[in-house]
Amino acid sequence: MRPVTQCASHVAACVFVALVLGANGYAADATVQVQLDSKNAAPRSVESLTERSIVRDYRFAWTSMAQALELNTLDPLEGPFAGEAKEVLRQAVTSQQHSNLTREYANQSHRLEAVFYAPEGDVMELHDTAEYQLQVRDGGKVIHDEHVVMHYIVLMTPAADRWVVRQLQAVPQF
Amino acid sequence: MQRHLFMSALCVAICAAVCAAQDIRVPDSATAGAEATISAGGSGKATFYLVGPGVANKSDVALGEPIQLHANDLRNSGTYLAIVCSDSCHSAAFYVSAAKAASVTFLVHPSRVPVAQSDAVSGVAIPFDQYRNLVLAPLTVNFQMTAANASLFARPVRTRDGVAWFRTASGRSAGAVQITASIDDVSARRALQQVASEPCNLRIDGKRVSNGILVQTLPVHDCAGNVVPDGTIVTFSASEAQGKSTVDAPIKQGVAKAQIDASGNTVISAASGVVLGNELRIGAK
Repeated sequence: MRPVTQCASHVAACVFVALVLGANGYAADATVQVQLDSKNAAPRSVESLTERSIVRDYRFAWTSMAQALELNTLDPLEGPFAGEAKEVLRQAVTSQQHSNLTREYANQSHRLEAVFYAPEGDVMELHDTAEYQLQVRDGGKVIHDEHVVMHYIVLMTPAADRWVVRQLQAVPQF
Repeated sequence: MQRHLFMSALCVAICAAVCAAQDIRVPDSATAGAEATISAGGSGKATFYLVGPGVANKSDVALGEPIQLHANDLRNSGTYLAIVCSDSCHSAAFYVSAAKAASVTFLVHPSRVPVAQSDAVSGVAIPFDQYRNLVLAPLTVNFQMTAANASLFARPVRTRDGVAWFRTASGRSAGAVQITASIDDVSARRALQQVASEPCNLRIDGKRVSNGILVQTLPVHDCAGNVVPDGTIVTFSASEAQGKSTVDAPIKQGVAKAQIDASGNTVISAASGVVLGNELRIGAK
């Protein structure tokens, strides 16, 4: 009787962990560091709950993007991206599949600043100063490996249960 | 023998240094959807990679000859990486900026708004080029709000980080309102409906009929003179010696009507929202 009980408790523990990790249908990668400064957001101020959602969903977006471009698969792009951002990433993955290239974004750190939050809360513009190790591979061969600091203009909009990235555009500086 | 080996190794080293890509010259400025040229010094064959937003191409090139980048590969604004590999790989990054504005995403709220409300209408305009890149160069967006060809609001606003916005009061007349955001010859139009606000005052009239009292309001207007929309509730209260009763009646075509079952001396009043009407005294049957 006891082994059965132990087995049941292990199964229950596994289910619990799976549920916790899979809350809301996805789990963000904790290795992607995201910090948000929203004190300069205007004309609407960013509520603390929204701040938390932005950090969670932006981290998830980069985790998914890195996964899509490293594994050359489109699936991770479903959910965290919408509109033009999703289309550009789909093009990138398709292009990589044809040329047998992959990109890896490692050791990501993102300093986000909310610079515009629409009066009705339906769009937010953020500036992301991102640091990561970018590796480009042709097949298994590394053809580029560099630690980069990039600046991105990001447009995020609220969807049913999360914020989605609609525009992710690199710029030389802010 | 040793000297011969040394000379051979030196030759190979020199050849490798000459043949390899010496430097990569990338465009100082490039625009989305326009062709560009890259040059890689050296001689011999090499592999060229273009890695950027929406693109990851690989092709064979001859070092020392210009490398043409097709307009289609540079549609997306952002940072691109040009990588040339022969014996070793060399890279250079360049930036592609958005082309001129070709469309405006225009968000307006709300779709229905009561008249004469301060800061009740807001709009956000975001310009994009023909490839849907966010146009970050400052532009002037002209916001205009018109109703029945009369201008209610007009304001030029400069984009900042690709966004321009406004907030304004609603007009004083109920009806359709057009709001336009335009940048040179590009514009986007939205419509919203201005509806009457809360009733400004209530006047009631009534008479005894065979089975009670028929009471009705005079046409109900808001403070700007617009007829209050159908469905707005008016509550009639009747007090007589036997007690008090209330009837809720919706406004139809500006007027609310109710029949009250009362036979004695009755005092009737009406209210809608925070507005109270006059008192009406009707004698016993």
